[in-house]
Amino acid sequence: MKVGYLGRRLASAFVTILLIALINFLLFRAMPGSPERILMRNTPNVTEEMKQAARVRWGLDKPVFPDQLIAYFQSTARGDLGFSFAARGAPVLDVISARIWPTIILFGLGELLAIIGGLALGAYTGWKRGGWVDQVGNGVSLVLYATPYFLLGMAFLLIFGLALRWFPTYGMLTAGAQYHSIWDRAADFGSHLVLPLVVVAIGLIGQYAIIMRSSIIETLSEEYVTTARAMGLRDSRVLRHHALPNALLPTVSLIAINLGYIVAGAITLEVVFNWPGLGTLTVEALTARDYPVLQGVFLLLCVSVVLANLAADLVYAMLDPRVRT
Amino acid sequence: MSLPIPPSARDDITPPDVETEELEEQEALDAVAAIEEVAPSAGITTAAQRRQRPLPKLADPAAPLLVVEDLKTYFSTGSGPVRAVDGVSFKVEHGEALGIAGESGCGKTTTALSLVRILPANAKIMSGSISLMGIDLVPKSDNALRRYRWREISIVFQGAMNALNPVRRIRDQIAEPIEERLGETPKAARKRAGDLLELVGIPRKRGDAYPHQLSGGMRQRAMIAMALACDPAIVIGDEPTTALDVMVQAQILELLEDLRQKLGLSLILITHDLSVIAETCDRVMVMYAGRIAEEGPVDEVFRRPRHPYTQKLMAAFPNIHADRRTLDVIPGEPPDLRQPPPGCRFSPRCPFVMPVCREVVPPETTFSGVRVACHLYPAGSDGVPVTVPPAEALGEMPVAAPG
Amino acid sequence: MGQLVRRPEGLIGVVILTIFFVLAVVPVLFVGPLQTAVTATGSRLEAPSAAHIFGTDELGRDMLNLTVHGARISLSIGLLATFVTVALGVVVGIVAGFVGGFADSGLMRVTDFFLVIPTFVLALILTPIIQDVVGSAATEVFGIRMSLVVIIFVIGITSWSSTARIIRSQTLSLRERAFVDRARVVGSSNGHIMRRHILPNVINLIVANAVLTFAGAVLLETTLSFVGLGDPFQPSWGQLLNAAEEVGAATLGAWWYFVPPGACIVLVVFAFTLLGTALDDLLNPRRRMRR
Repeated sequence: MKVGYLGRRLASAFVTILLIALINFLLFRAMPGSPERILMRNTPNVTEEMKQAARVRWGLDKPVFPDQLIAYFQSTARGDLGFSFAARGAPVLDVISARIWPTIILFGLGELLAIIGGLALGAYTGWKRGGWVDQVGNGVSLVLYATPYFLLGMAFLLIFGLALRWFPTYGMLTAGAQYHSIWDRAADFGSHLVLPLVVVAIGLIGQYAIIMRSSIIETLSEEYVTTARAMGLRDSRVLRHHALPNALLPTVSLIAINLGYIVAGAITLEVVFNWPGLGTLTVEALTARDYPVLQGVFLLLCVSVVLANLAADLVYAMLDPRVRT
Repeated sequence: MSLPIPPSARDDITPPDVETEELEEQEALDAVAAIEEVAPSAGITTAAQRRQRPLPKLADPAAPLLVVEDLKTYFSTGSGPVRAVDGVSFKVEHGEALGIAGESGCGKTTTALSLVRILPANAKIMSGSISLMGIDLVPKSDNALRRYRWREISIVFQGAMNALNPVRRIRDQIAEPIEERLGETPKAARKRAGDLLELVGIPRKRGDAYPHQLSGGMRQRAMIAMALACDPAIVIGDEPTTALDVMVQAQILELLEDLRQKLGLSLILITHDLSVIAETCDRVMVMYAGRIAEEGPVDEVFRRPRHPYTQKLMAAFPNIHADRRTLDVIPGEPPDLRQPPPGCRFSPRCPFVMPVCREVVPPETTFSGVRVACHLYPAGSDGVPVTVPPAEALGEMPVAAPG
Repeated sequence: MGQLVRRPEGLIGVVILTIFFVLAVVPVLFVGPLQTAVTATGSRLEAPSAAHIFGTDELGRDMLNLTVHGARISLSIGLLATFVTVALGVVVGIVAGFVGGFADSGLMRVTDFFLVIPTFVLALILTPIIQDVVGSAATEVFGIRMSLVVIIFVIGITSWSSTARIIRSQTLSLRERAFVDRARVVGSSNGHIMRRHILPNVINLIVANAVLTFAGAVLLETTLSFVGLGDPFQPSWGQLLNAAEEVGAATLGAWWYFVPPGACIVLVVFAFTLLGTALDDLLNPRRRMRR
């Protein structure tokens, strides 16, 4: 029966991805006038031959359904996401992959820190409910929830980057720097990483701590916890073996769902710190109306979120025997 | 950007169907019938071996098993303390079964939780003593109390879905106290858990299951097995059969009775269902609004109820053999325990209320082994149950409880 | 309402929001008309002083003036976007919950799809396309420029799904209640029942949800404007932040450029969230029982 659960989730994820790709396709064709007009936007003195050549190159001379649609799906599956306007026709895939690692490092690390820190903090405050740590923590989390990431980033940049001059404020590596060894390079990278990483972590830790805390509080009022305490088991054992495994269940789901929301923060935060990742790429493409790149990023981000949700479902199935049997 | 509601994974749980439940119950019955052979070889003490069990260091072997003296447990709330248990005393001997009966909110569960001291954060035992084999548990710190939890007193809750940890296998949950509290190796603990499962009529192999895979009756049996894990002297059952249908209820009660006989357990059964008490218990204690109304041998209390509340309780239960009649109800509601009425707490609803009831707390008096707290039975009277309003009774019963 | 202000969260929320709403409705009363590059009263990026308590931007415009007018833009957009979101969500939720069957599964598939897709990313790609379709003519709807109207529309069509889910569950439970059966026996049509019987009973839920949706809409608009999709001629707080970022205010140390609009955003969203949770506690019967 585990196959049934897994199978259904996989199928649903697959359908969702197909739909996303379809929307991507339609958006481009939904543009006004002719798509070629957009293609030729930045080119002066457009002649009819140039337009026709562009049409052929982009496959726009064929009927939309089914030829263009099929061609689109085929090329996307192959990894051919079109060509960037702004980057003078470089393949979108290349443009994106050049900028993907900084984002993965920044947010991967941030997410990891936040999961460990947030869950631990949430479990602690949930277990020892009440007291001033709880109240203060709650208030702080609420304020953090209301603060867009980029705002927090700007504040941190000003305070720690400018006023205190503890950390650099721009980019990933110092421009034009010469490195004598790999450690120098790593150190430079690290000092650039600190501020944005701290901002990412703070925002996420707050959210995860809140989720975990309310989850633990809910679990602690269940009868099996009362039974465990009536058994005379030590508090640490009750927390670790009874409360935590059950409290993790809704937490995992909520963390996965949250991923969709922090993407916004990710993009804007990179802009503030000029971190050369997907976020700054997106905003650059937006300003230049570089639609192929935008669509590539859209596809990538949406698919990532869907896959993350799928992963969360799998983890959930591992943790909760009720869905797997 | 508010967080959306996560899709519930619980849509995927399929509960066992009724047929499986019936089959399982039959298997269980057959298994229980074979208990005699299982018990001695499983290392589970029988009644005969009970006296040789290692007792707690401070225990007094001559003392009664449990003596509760004037227990008071209050809850502190925003609007003042709630006197949930307000001066309750009773005794449980070795091998005895005591039933605690009463409406919801009368303090029976709080009494039970006070015994193992698993109270919510805002509840506290204000005064009184709980003497287990002569050892007073009340002044003990939480840490010192742990010695007695499960090893001398254990508790069985309603076998609802949430009384067992949903993500752990049954056998592991039963083995846990054996491993942690008795210091056995994991392997030995698992084996003993299997023995206990068989003792309560669950096939050993079913120990691999998770709680959601068992029927209600099986879950209740598993809870009982868990309660027996550390070989306690007393098992408290808090509404152990309420969530079950009548047939399964009967089987669980039979199991409890069997176990009591064979293992020499003492039982404290808490329920609002008098028929359950009538079937399994030796003594019964009727509670009302945090105090004892009447307490004594089951036969005597049920056949000749003295306290007007007990009488009303008995009358409120439909008798399958009697003629058809409208059910007697007790008008009014239990009092607000933040400001209980002075004097007898039942006075606002009592059909026999006299002026003294509203002012003076009735003292406990004893007749034919029955303790009763009612002004109808002062010390020195003949103790014959009163069934007609006495001369001093104050006319009409109020329809709604005051205050 | 009385019960609401009795709770501390409710009170704080109401007070903060009232202040901002008053500022938003008649900003001219407080700071005069919106300053432009032409009518700017100061010089470039002045620090706060007696003349300009929040300093000036790179065009010399008074920050206080810009921030107060920003209240009107941000809150109007938020309000209108909330209308669209809630309207869509309620219609989908009630129809799906009440009619059931294929309509329900179909609508829920769509809803779930929108729930999975990151809202911001979808809005990010829809907005420029629609803005380009509509054109950047200076036409105004209700006194709001076209590009901002597009943002309202996009927020609306990307945020409705959680509302729809909530309303649908409530509708499902209401559907089983006796008064619906009575209406059916009398012969009322489905549409009539949905409008006259179900809708009034989900109003409470809608209100609590709308408040939280408002907060989300303000945040989403802010972020969209921050990445450059806003309108510099009708600057919302997000747009001001975008301008601050482009000028490099943070690296120049011109904190007065982004702190006032930023603080306003945090205050408003914070107030809405407080209010929303207080309302939720008050109106949601299940949570009431927990307490």
